[in-house]
Formats: sequence, C-alpha cells, structure tokens
Amino acid sequence: MGIYELSLATIVGINIILALGLNLITGYCGQISLGHAAFFGTGAYVVALMAKAGYPAPINLVCAMLITGGIGIVVGVASLRVRHDFLAITTMGVGFLFLGIVRQQDSVLGGEMGLSGIPSIGLEKPAFLMLVLAVAALCTLFSVYIKKSWMGFAFDAVATDEDTARLLTVNVPVYKLTAFALGTAMAGLAGGLYCYFTRFIMPDDFGFITSISVLSMVAVGGIGSVPGVIIGTMLLTLLPEMSEFLSDYKLFFYGALLFGVMRFAPDGLAGVGSSLRGMLKRSGRAV
Amino acid sequence: MLFLELLIQGLIYGCMYAIIAVGLTLVYGLLRILHVAHAGLFTLGAYLGVIVTNATGSLGLAIPVSAMCVGLVGMAIYRLCYQPILSKPPYVALIASIGLFIAMEEIFRLIFGPYGLTYTQVPLQSPVSLLGMSLRMVDIFIVFGSVAMLGLLSWLAQKTRIGIAWRATVDDPQMAGSFGISVQNVRYLNFFIGSALAAVAGIFISLLSNLAEPTMGGVPSYKALAIIVLGGLGNVTGTLIAAVILGVVEAYGTIYVGNLLDRDAIAFAFLILVLMLKPQGLFSRK
Amino acid sequence: MIKKTTLIFLTLCLVVSFASLCPAADTIKFGFNAPLTGFAAADGKSSSEGAKLAVKQINAAGGVLGKQVELVIYDDQAKPANAIPIANKLIGKDKVVVGISGSYSGPTRSSAGVFQEAGIPYISAYAIHPDITRAGNMVYRTGLLGTVQGRAGAKLVGDMMGKKNVVIITLQNDFGKSLAAGFKSVAADYGIQVIAEYQYSMKDRQFGSLVAKVKADKPDAIYASGYYFTCGPLVSQLRAGGVDAPVIGQEGYDGQKFIEIAGPAAEGVLITTTLDRDSKEKEAREFIQAFEKQAGYPADMVSASAHTAVKVAAAAIERAGSTDPEKIRQAIAKTSYKASSGLIRFNKLGEVMKPVQVQIVRDGRWHYYAVIDDPELLTPPEE
Repeated sequence: MGIYELSLATIVGINIILALGLNLITGYCGQISLGHAAFFGTGAYVVALMAKAGYPAPINLVCAMLITGGIGIVVGVASLRVRHDFLAITTMGVGFLFLGIVRQQDSVLGGEMGLSGIPSIGLEKPAFLMLVLAVAALCTLFSVYIKKSWMGFAFDAVATDEDTARLLTVNVPVYKLTAFALGTAMAGLAGGLYCYFTRFIMPDDFGFITSISVLSMVAVGGIGSVPGVIIGTMLLTLLPEMSEFLSDYKLFFYGALLFGVMRFAPDGLAGVGSSLRGMLKRSGRAV
Repeated sequence: MLFLELLIQGLIYGCMYAIIAVGLTLVYGLLRILHVAHAGLFTLGAYLGVIVTNATGSLGLAIPVSAMCVGLVGMAIYRLCYQPILSKPPYVALIASIGLFIAMEEIFRLIFGPYGLTYTQVPLQSPVSLLGMSLRMVDIFIVFGSVAMLGLLSWLAQKTRIGIAWRATVDDPQMAGSFGISVQNVRYLNFFIGSALAAVAGIFISLLSNLAEPTMGGVPSYKALAIIVLGGLGNVTGTLIAAVILGVVEAYGTIYVGNLLDRDAIAFAFLILVLMLKPQGLFSRK
Repeated sequence: MIKKTTLIFLTLCLVVSFASLCPAADTIKFGFNAPLTGFAAADGKSSSEGAKLAVKQINAAGGVLGKQVELVIYDDQAKPANAIPIANKLIGKDKVVVGISGSYSGPTRSSAGVFQEAGIPYISAYAIHPDITRAGNMVYRTGLLGTVQGRAGAKLVGDMMGKKNVVIITLQNDFGKSLAAGFKSVAADYGIQVIAEYQYSMKDRQFGSLVAKVKADKPDAIYASGYYFTCGPLVSQLRAGGVDAPVIGQEGYDGQKFIEIAGPAAEGVLITTTLDRDSKEKEAREFIQAFEKQAGYPADMVSASAHTAVKVAAAAIERAGSTDPEKIRQAIAKTSYKASSGLIRFNKLGEVMKPVQVQIVRDGRWHYYAVIDDPELLTPPEE
C-alpha cells in the first residue's frame, strides 16, 4: 500500500469510529445530534494537550474517551429536557458553543491558531493504520453486541415511542444518557486518533460542517444499521477522491447525493441492501 | 447614547431575523420539517435582487420579481422534495434539506463565481440622521418593510378566507380537510409565502453589505433555527418576539462578551440557557 | 441483458486502464493544493489561476531543465483532513518534485508535515500560521507572516501617518489574531495607544453594533483585519455610520472585489500587502497584465503569492540542475528572486524576508502609497 492509500484508509477508519458513535445516539436511541463534531473535537484537544504534556498515548486515548463521555452525559441531560427537533437544534448549539469557547481560549487551547507540534504516537504509518482499524473493528463488534442485547432493545423502544417505553417501565432517562455517554466516548476516541494522525488541530476541523458530514455518513448508510453505516462512511469519505474527475462539481454532487438518498432511499444503503435481497428472494434465487 | 444605538442596531438585526425565521416557522408549524434549504432560497432571493436591480436599475421592481420567483421555487421544492417523504422520520427531511442546501450553494458558486455579486449602484445608501445616530436609508427601510410585511401577513391570516383556511389547516389538517379545505393548496401557499419572505430578507442583507455570495445562507439559517426554537416551534408571534430579542442580545453581546465567545456562540448560548429553563421555548405552541 | 451491460462495463474499464498506462509526456510535476470548493473557494480560484499562469509562462520560456512543467492541482476544500491524503497522493502517486500550497493555514500545516517527512520541498504561498515553516527544513513560505505584517502596520499608522489613538478590529481566525498580535507588539514603539479592541467572526457581514461602539470611541485611526467579504461591508458601514477615521488594512483586502463592495467608502483605505500595482519591476508588470487577461479579473495578493511560489520553485530547480530533493532544497534556501510579489529571500527557518508594500485606494483602484523596508522591524523569527 502506498502512503496515499495508507492515509486514506486511516481517515476512513477514524470516520467509521466517529460514525458508529453517532449511530448509537441517533440510530439506536433516536436522539438527533447535530453537534457530534464537538465531541470529536473534545477528544482531539484532550489528547493534544496531554500528549504535549508528555503523557503516553494509551492513557491519553482513554482519558479522551472518559472526558468526552462525561461531557456527553451532561449534554445527554439536556436531551432529557427537550425532544426531537428541539434536541437537534440544541445539539447544534452545543457544537457552536464548543467552537466559540475553543476559539477564544488562546492560552491553553491555542485559540484560533490551534495546537501544533503534537508528538507522534510512536507508530509507523502502517502500524497506526492497524491500530485504527483494530479500534474500528472493536467499535463495530461493540455496536452489534449492543444492538442484540437488552440495552439495544431498550434503545429501540425509546427511539420508537418514548412515552410507551416509559409505561413499560423502561428507564428512559438512563438509557438516553447511556446512549449519549457511549456514543460520545467513541467520538472522543476517534478525535484522539485523529489528533495523532494530523498532529495539528484547529477549531475549524470540528465545526458544524463536520457534524453534518458525520450525520450524512450515518444517514446514507442507513440509520441504525452497523454494516450500512460502515459502508456509508467509506463511500462518503472516499467520494472526494473518487470524484476528482468531477473536480469543480464535487461538492454539488455530494449535496445532490445526500438529497437523493434521503428522497429516494431514506433507509439508506442498508435499506437498498435489504430491498435488493428481498427482490432476489422473490425472484426465486437463493441469497 | 451608545446604549440607544446598540438597541436600534439590535432592532434592525431582529427585523431581518424575523423575516427569515417566520418562513421557517410557518413550514415547521405545518409540516414539522426543519426546512434548512430555506437558507438557499434566501440566497437565491438575494442573487435575483442584485441581478434584477443591476439590469433594470430599479430595486422596486427587483423585490417583487425576486419574491415571486423564489416563492415559486419554494413551492416546487415542497412538491418535489418534501411531499414524497412526509411520512418518513424527521431526520430524513432534515438531511434531504441539508443536501439540497449544499447543492444550491454550489449552484450559485458554479454559475456566478465564488466572489459573489455586488450592486453596480447600491440603492438606499443615503444617510439618515435619527436621534443623533447616523443610519442609512436601508436601515429604516428594513424596519418599516419588515413591519409592513408582517402586518400584511397577519391581516391575511386573520381577516381573509384564505388565511382562516390556512390557520385551520395548521391546527388540525384532518378537520380542515373534512371541511373541504384543500390541504395541498394550503401547503403550497405556506411555502410560497415563507419563501417569498426569505427572498426579501436576502435582498435586505445584500443591501446592507452590498454582497450576494454563495455561502450567505449559512449563518442566517442557523440563527433562524435557533430563533424558531426559542419562540416555540410553530408559534409565529413567539418567533417574531424571539427574533427581536436575539437581535438585541447579539448587538450587546458582540460588544461586551465578544472576547469570551464569538457571535454565533452567543446566540446559541442564549438559546441553550432558555431551553434549559423553558424546554418548550419562550412561548410554546398554544 | 445483464451480460451485455457487464461486457460494456468491462470494456470501459479496460480502455480506461490502458489509457492510464499510456506513457505520460516527459514532464516535471509540481504539486498544488488549493480550496477549489467549499467556503474558501474564492481564494482557491485566485491561487490556482496565479499558479497556472506561472506554469504557462515558465513553459513558454522553455520549461525547467529542458522539460515542461505540469501542475497537478487537487482540491482540499481548506480542510486539514483532506490535505493529508492529497499530500500523500502528490508524493506517492504523482511523484511531484516540489509541493506548493495555495490554501489556508490548517491544510498547509498538515501537508507540510507530510512533505517534510517524505523529504520533498514544500512552499506555502500565503498561509500565515507560524508553525508551518517549523515543520522542518523542507518547508518555505513566500508570503508574509501575520506578525511581521502586523508590525509593519504599526509603523505605518504610528510613524508614517502619525496617528496615536487606534481602535483595532480583529477577525477571529489565525490571520486576524496574528496581525493584531504583531501590531500590538510594537505599537508602543511608535507612540500608538490602543484605545479599544474588538473581534468579529468570519461569517459576520453586518457590523451595526460595532460601528456604533467605534464611533463612540472616536479613534484617530482604525486597524482592521479581515477579507474582502468582511472588510468591504465593514468599511462601507463605518463610513455610513459617520466614522471618518482612516482605515488601515492588510493583504486580506487586496483585490478588486473589496473596492467593488465598499464603493466610494473604499477611497483612501490603506493596506499592507505584497503586490504593488504600480510596480516598475518587469515580473510584476507582466504578471498583472497577463493575469487579468487569463482570469478575467484584476490580480490580487493571493494570485500573486501563488505565482511567486511557483516561479521560485522553478527557478530553484533550474539552479539546482537536478530534481534531487535535497539539491532543490538547497537551491531554494539560496533564492534571491524578483517575483511578482517582491524580492524573495529566505532566512534559516524558511521565512521570506521582503519589504512590505503599502497600497491605497484612489479612484476605485489600488495604487502605490509607500514601501516599508525596515529590516529590523520586518525580520521574521529564525526558529
């Protein structure tokens, strides 16, 4: 693999971790989050500061997860008070608030200039890719496990109909908070890995556009479907590279794709996948 | 003196936000969709306004032409984009809308270039002295124009048959339908009016800064989303009041808190604060 | 039916793969990353047009080392996450001999790290973040550092214009903040007192409350940082609000669009920049004329910077006499080249040492006002 393919694969891996995290919150538990990039950023900044202070990578990454997850719970508490569309806007607000604070903190967080000179994680590029892919694989397994577990069932209940779930003695607040904690912790982990990848972070990397990109990866893949989200992430991350020939029309194509998928195949790639399987079944072929 | 100036500036911002936000809250009230592409219509309105003014020299012609065209585009967007996915979960319409908005931004950039358009002769720039402050005609125009349009809208909603049918449909579509009201037509009207208002807001902004650029829809749309939530989703009066409040909060905030948070963050910090205290917004739906 | 479409598809694949196997013309490749789409598309367009013009001129004059130069441009959308794979692609796939950044600080800094690690020279055309050149000895910058330009601004305001009470209006990004930092660091030396400092965000176009406050401050001069799409409206609104104090800006204003937006309010605005429209230097004159013809709009600082970077790279390779990266690097380090944006020489860190042009708006166009050539003031950091 050339260095180009290596770096692409690493970004895909990081995005997968990020998207799976959002999938837990939005896909499994039905809480729309438009501020996921803030958690991505929190993880990145935590790792950046700790790495520069000389702490070893494993500790930094774990701290990133814990701190981000903690903040995720705080935001989750906010979600308890507001619903649906209110929540979407509130999480968007959280994203802007994060940016607003980081931008102005010149002393510790580097402000607009960001943080640079972040030490290397100590792995060569191929080894780092292996690490990222391993973490992505773990997150995938974790997501699948949750889906099949009692927690997944509870998440599903909350997502479908909160009030009824409450009646069924599902402790809705606890599950919502759990979803936020887990999903944001994953985002924090992704942020930490991202930090070691670029070794230079600026607030702009974690803006609203990033939040939308991650949400798109989840939506195009198929909200709630782990294989769907993974494929959706791969597709959307690699799209700019694949569409170099589109050059000037790249972003237009991206917007059109988002719109097109939601308009014509709202269940995302996962939906397309299952309807294809359905079609094949009906035409008598084994799947 | 400064206090008063900031207040007036806040009112001007507030009026602009109000016009944009009203369109958004109208759509939400009817369809429960967060119509992010509204920002694209806003931008389209600004571009059309500049183009028509530059071509004909008349802003008075440009405004209705732009409003009309954008209103029609808005209706088309409803028919082609939203209607087919009304039964889907809310995030579908949201992301579709976002995709549409991104595509629209790019269309503006591809057709008109990344630098944006400017007026050859910017209208309404003559200075006006009010209470010792130096304003421009355009500032006065915005305030009066907004009030006039909202007044017209209110009259339409309260005193005409169309308006009553509209409000009935918003309150209870099924009941309205059983009374013979064409729910479909009401929706078209809704989008037409909301989009036309967005177009006018776009023209206002282009007059203030003499620039219509592809990405100009972004910020007003975020603010508008915050405003309609603040005002209580679907509540028009609440939205108007929230718009003005936010305009004023921003006007003071950027000067006095600007070193802690940037402008957008101020708006959202305020929003989050309010929502924590009143989760249904300042004024929830009746 | 499926068989037929599969056949056609396979044929297409074969054709495409054969096409890519065709031996490419023997060229020397320059890598170039710029934000062609996204929020920074305007600067991406200018920088890539400037670079393309430079390559055209170089090839018309015989190319480099007897071969034609091929400019490989990729769109990074001004995002660091995109810039890293692009840098890797340029190095690994396209095998460029030198990389040039026509993009903002974020992506440039990330790319610089990649190029440094791969040992290929990298030149930043106009990104101002100080850490870019700190990535290593392979990285150079032909544009002015924000802090250096800020210092020049202070000299212009306090010393050359004699204004003492200054209000600073700063754009909240690395560009604005480093300019303000540079300005403030030497302000006292020129007798300047900063009576107030305000900040605004990149997305702001309406400055009503800011104008009201500045008016109340009654400054002798206003030092405002930003780009044409923020400062154009800002200056126009300042004048409309009755604020007559002179406005001093920087290279972010540098372009015709600023004047178009601000209209009559633009008259008399001064900026510190590197492109002198009234320059008598051959390279600058040729660039200005040829650019307007090629791109359809007047030249600006971003295009001049990209043009300069490409020309510097080409000249260095020619002097090095080979495409060996280390030889090219050494040649770049010894550069003394009269480019469209000034005489380019580098210090130990790879920062450019060149005079600062001051331009003024007169009769709707930018013109020469002064030049600041104080070596002590303008010396960039060495590490």
